Parts: sequence; structure tokens; C-alpha cells
Amino acid sequence: MAGIIDVPKPRINCSMLSQHINRPVCFVGRVEKVHPTGKTFTLLDGEGKVATVELNEPLEEELSGVVEVIGMVSNKGAIMATTYNIMREDKGIPFDLELYNEALKVVHDFPQHYPFEVASSG
Amino acid sequence: MSMTLTHGAVEALVKGLPVYNPVLQLLNMRKLNSPSGTSRYRLMMSDGQRSFTSFLLDTQLNHLAEENLLVPNCVCKLTKTILETLKDGRRVLVVTGIEILQKAEETGGKIGNPTPYKADDETSQSMDSGTSVSEVSSSAAVPGPSDTNNSTPSPRGYGSGFGATASPMKTSPMMTSPMRASPMKASPMKASPMKTSPMKVSPMKASPMQASPMKTSPMKTSPMKTGSVISIAKLNPYQTNWTIKARVTNKSNVRSWSNSKGEGKLFSFEIVDESGEIRLTAFNKEVDRFFTLLEQGKVYYISKATVKIANKQFNRLKNDYEITLHAHSSIVLCDDSQGVPTLHFDFVPIAELENKEKDTILDIIGVCKSAEDVSKITTKTSREVSKRAISLIDTTETVVTVTLWGEEAEKFNCTREPVVAIKGARLSDFGGRSLSTLFSSTVMVNPDIPEAFRLRAWYDQEGYAVESQSLTYTGSASSASRINWKTLSDVKNEQMGQDEKAEYFSCVATVVYTRKENCLYQACPSADCNKKVIEQPDGMYRCDKCNRQFPNFKYRLILSANLADFGDNQWVTCFQETAEVLLGHSADTLGHLRDTDETAFEEVFQKANFTTHIFKNRVKLETYNDESRVKVTVMEIQPLDHREYSRTLLRNIHKLASST
Repeated sequence: MAGIIDVPKPRINCSMLSQHINRPVCFVGRVEKVHPTGKTFTLLDGEGKVATVELNEPLEEELSGVVEVIGMVSNKGAIMATTYNIMREDKGIPFDLELYNEALKVVHDFPQHYPFEVASSG
Repeated sequence: MSMTLTHGAVEALVKGLPVYNPVLQLLNMRKLNSPSGTSRYRLMMSDGQRSFTSFLLDTQLNHLAEENLLVPNCVCKLTKTILETLKDGRRVLVVTGIEILQKAEETGGKIGNPTPYKADDETSQSMDSGTSVSEVSSSAAVPGPSDTNNSTPSPRGYGSGFGATASPMKTSPMMTSPMRASPMKASPMKASPMKTSPMKVSPMKASPMQASPMKTSPMKTSPMKTGSVISIAKLNPYQTNWTIKARVTNKSNVRSWSNSKGEGKLFSFEIVDESGEIRLTAFNKEVDRFFTLLEQGKVYYISKATVKIANKQFNRLKNDYEITLHAHSSIVLCDDSQGVPTLHFDFVPIAELENKEKDTILDIIGVCKSAEDVSKITTKTSREVSKRAISLIDTTETVVTVTLWGEEAEKFNCTREPVVAIKGARLSDFGGRSLSTLFSSTVMVNPDIPEAFRLRAWYDQEGYAVESQSLTYTGSASSASRINWKTLSDVKNEQMGQDEKAEYFSCVATVVYTRKENCLYQACPSADCNKKVIEQPDGMYRCDKCNRQFPNFKYRLILSANLADFGDNQWVTCFQETAEVLLGHSADTLGHLRDTDETAFEEVFQKANFTTHIFKNRVKLETYNDESRVKVTVMEIQPLDHREYSRTLLRNIHKLASST
């Protein structure tokens, strides 16, 4: 778990999942469905595509709205989550997922302007 | 002395050929009464060779007859006539302009020996005067343009004895003022040329009309023959038996009123066909009959309604006339909408709005770049209404703000920058030039019309990146108008403000420091004076500018702050108004807090840190004691709409990307 925190995690959407297999990523999407076991759920990205997220332990709370998941992309293209963040939408501005997707595309289209660097420690 | 009449004029007029100001003699005149009470004068005119009995004096000229200016045997010049062909093919010449050249007494009788002119020899008949026969209005239609169609059967029966006795006239068709929709209803379905076949009743005499089987409401009877429909452009108040086939382009909501004259309700709708558009209004009972039946976008056969001059105050269509539905009006849904255009738009390019006069009603189309949130305002009549301002841009690269109201404002969604087409918006000079939708406007989002596709293509390829000029100066962050956007590094790099002339710019920046020391001063309590007051030994405060002493003062703010963005930082000064916005408290409150609760006071300044806003600033070279420095003062602070800003940034990125 500690390993993934220190490592740069590119923000991706569903279309980029396949290029990040076995790599840590940050995925933001809107909760679509939560499996009854609570150990897996699906998210919709800004383009409307679906990604599956799997957890180590079942969910202990209600999950809804926009969520940011940090984890590894499995061989099957699912995200093995190590941690997640619920984006609160009750305070003012709602999260514009489509706008986020646009920004994501820009970041990936211009890697020369958005380099991923390891944060220097200390 | 006998005046020279224009020989051949009668025949020419009836045939619809151009005749310039023909001089004719009035042989006979007959007053017709319509059920509505307005009189109509029927004239028999001669050109010396031929005479014709179906001249109708326009009601606006009735006074000529009533004041005995128009007297049989007088000679007149017809300056304006309109040739109308009735449903049965009979022709009528409506005289809308006439000059009396010679009085009856002077003419000395009938000039020449004119023979009656008959346009055709078929027998026809009588039209019932005034009984409202509930005919199949829907199937009855005037066979097209009156002036070109020469093959229709013409008036008959007049030739004989116009002047003779009154009796034939009683059954003559001309009677009742064409203004009334009802009388004409008696469809003189005579002859074969009348394509309207449902009229099986052949012996075209007056009464049989009533017996016509077609009395039943058209809605239930036979399918309409499209051949019997006339075009909207041909509608006029003098024809009563018509059917039009058109599409509803615009339907208003039901509006009720209550005034000293009583109450009522109405709704109006506009229709279009290949020839043009016209507006219709239904009142009271007709509202109940037709409101739910009519749907925008569908095609209907409409007949039996009153055509009258358009009230341009409410009606902004290009038609001189408008229609009022009444108890006998019929509207039938039409399945075959072939040939009927969908919506008739006349878009004005946004850049041209500047040249138009305010209050003009026009159509507009554009891509919605941004939209403000919907807000509720209370009108003068204490009604609460929702409103939303949206910005539209088109290929002229100009932006204009449009205000939507009510439900339209509430349900409008501007994500994905839709193409918005508005029909019947009103131009206003608010903020320069802006548009507002009216009760009667139609707003279409992403309409299925070629204009919309063209705009979409233009916008996606280049339009989104355009630095547009807005016609509406709103001062708010969402308008890309004459705001001079700069980054903080630009201030130094471009040496702004150095020329001794003040320069203005706007920027997005974050507050990184606010100086709480010496941010408050004691100011003169008089209304417009903000000068610092000096405390006197006796506890009074003296203002040098007002030259007075006061027992009190008011706190005012001068806040020194440091703003930063990605590139640079900049010290700025915020005076009272902007400082209060930044700190979120009034000067008085802060003054009080400073004296009472230091911690709370400090917290105010902490909270302001790292807040991001849009700053509108003035930068100028200022000299103080021989020292010149460029100073930046904040004129206005606006909240930053992050989404709007993100979109702007994305647009700029795309623009930069495509230009490399």
C-alpha cells in the first residue's frame, strides 16, 4: 500500500485502461452499480464508459456520486483499488465529469507539458 | 361634355390584366347588408364598352357612398383595385382607391352603350346571403391564384338585370361582406371546374346548399383533396371559403386576462406553408377546442376563420393579415405533410444585430458558449419568474447574450455547447445589444435544420477557439467581451502602466497574503467624504476637507494584498468595496473585531488566503515624493466560475494546438 502512495499515478479514463495494465492509476468516475457483496462496483467515466473496481475489503458505507479511486490496473482491465475518495457534491459546485474528461485528454495529448515526475522526498 | 372612359378596362380588370388608373362610369350602386351590420356597396361600372356588376367598394371607402359622393352616373378613376376570385370562381373587383372625376349631374347619363361583361357563361348561382350553412369548409377551397387562373367559371347571372330589379340581386353572391366568414360558407359548388367534388349536389341553386350532405363536421368526413387547398400568401379578408394546409411552427401557452371589460383567455400559434406564414389566435371557447389538438410541428388543414389585418403590435410575422378562429372554424390533422416546410426561420447574423433597431423581433441562431445559472426574480406585478442568460456565438464571431424566461430558462442545459435557434426574440439595447425571448418566441435546442448543422461543424472545427467580441457588456466573468485578460507576469513583461496613462486588465489570481496591519483607518462620517480624520485632544475627530469636527468616525479599509498566479505575483491595493469582498466582512465589523477579538480578527485574514478570484485592475504610474512606482489597484472582484474558466483554458489550449 505504501508503494502506491509515493508513486506518480496518472489520471486515466476507460479508454486508457488497456495502456496502463499492471500500473498504478487514479481513476475518477461516477458510481453506477455496487455489487451486493460490496467488494466490487462499477464506475462511469466522463465518456460514459464503464470501469470495474475491486476492493480488498467490502465497502462499509454507501457509495454514490463521483469517486476517485487509486489502484492498480489488473490484466483484465479492472482497477484493484487500494484507496478511494468520495467527491462531495453537496458543497456548492457539482463535479463536472465531462469537463474533467476533457482535461484528462489534454494531459495525455501533451505529455511534454504535463510530465510525471517522482516527488522528491525530504 | 362627356368624359372619355377607358375602353376595354372592364375586361382587362376582370381578367386580371394590368390597367393603370382606368376611368369608368358608375352605372349603379347597391347597398348590401351583412349580418354583422357593416354595409358593403356593390358597384356596377362601365368603361363605355362593357359593364361589370361585381365591383365592391372597400369598406374603408363606404363614406363615399354614404355622403353621396359616389352617385350612379358619376365618372371616376379607379386608382387601386384588387381582383379576387371567389370559391365558386366568380370574380370580384374590390375597389380600394377611387377618385370622382365628374359628378353625376354633369355627365348627363350613361356614356356609350356598354354591354354586360360576363367572364364565363356557365350558370351558377346564388349564394345564400347570410345563412351560415355549415358546409364542408374543409373540402371547399378557392382554386388557387385568382389572377392567373382564367379557366374558372365566372360570375354569372349578373349580366341580366342588374339594374333592372332588385330581385335577382337578392340571390346574388356578392352580398354579404366578405369580411364575415360565415355567409360565404354557402359553397356554390357549381360546376365541374370546382375540383371540390364532395359537393355532389349539382343543381346549384341557393337552397340546395343547405341540404348538402356535407354539413357534418369536416373532421369526420372525406379526406381532403389537396388540390383544393390555397396557399397562405393568398389569404385575405375578402375570401371566406378557404382551406389552408400548414404546419404549426410556434404555439404559445394559454394566457388569461381580466380587465374592466371582462375576462377571457387566448392562445396564439403561427403556421407556415410553402408560400409564407400567418398567425392565428383562438379565444375563450376556441381555446378549449383547439389548444390540445394543435401540436407544434404537426400539419393541419385549417378553414373557416376570420382573416383580418394583422395587429403588428403583437404579430411580428411578415404577413399583412392574421387569423382569428371562431365557432365554425375547423382544424383537421393532416397526415400528408409533404411539401410543407418545417420551420421558417429568417436568421439574423449576430454581428448585424448592432445595425438593427431595438425592439425588433427577429430570429437568431448560435452555439451556446456559456450560460449563467437560472435565477428567480420578482416582477413589478409581484410574480416570481425564472430567468437565465445564455451567450450565443455564430460564424460572424460575435457573441450576444440572450435571456430565457420561465420554464425554458429552468430546463435549459448548456453542457456540450448546443446550437440554439430562437424564433421571435426581441432585440434590446440593454448592455449595448442583447436579446430576450418573448411569450411568443420559440426556442429550439439543436434543431434539425441545415443552419444548425453548419454552425455545429463550424464551431467544432474553429468556432470554439475564436476570440469573440460580445455585443452585450455584462461585466460578468462569463462574457468574453472587451475584458483585457492578462497574467500577472504580463504586467511586468509588458511594462503595463508605464505610460502615465492608466491601463486596465483582468486576471485570475490567488490571494497569498493580506496585510492586516494598517488596513483600517478612521474616516470622516459624512456621506461622500472618505478623508482620514484626526483625533483631537478633546476626543472629537476633525476632517480637514469638510472643515468640521465630528464626535465619531467610520472605519474604512485600505487593504494591501499580494496576488499570485502560475507565473508571478503582484502587490495590489484594495479599497473599501473590493477589500470587503475579499475579506467577507464590512469595514465596521472588522474595526469592531479588531478592538474586541484579536483572534477572530486575524482569522478573517487567514481565511482570505488562497482564495481565487477574477480581479479587474487598474495599473498606473504613481508619483509620491519624487518617487515613481507602478501601482496596481483592484477595481472589482468577481467570483471565479471554475467550470467556465476550465472551458476557457481548454479552448485556448485547443486553439494553440491547432495553430502550431
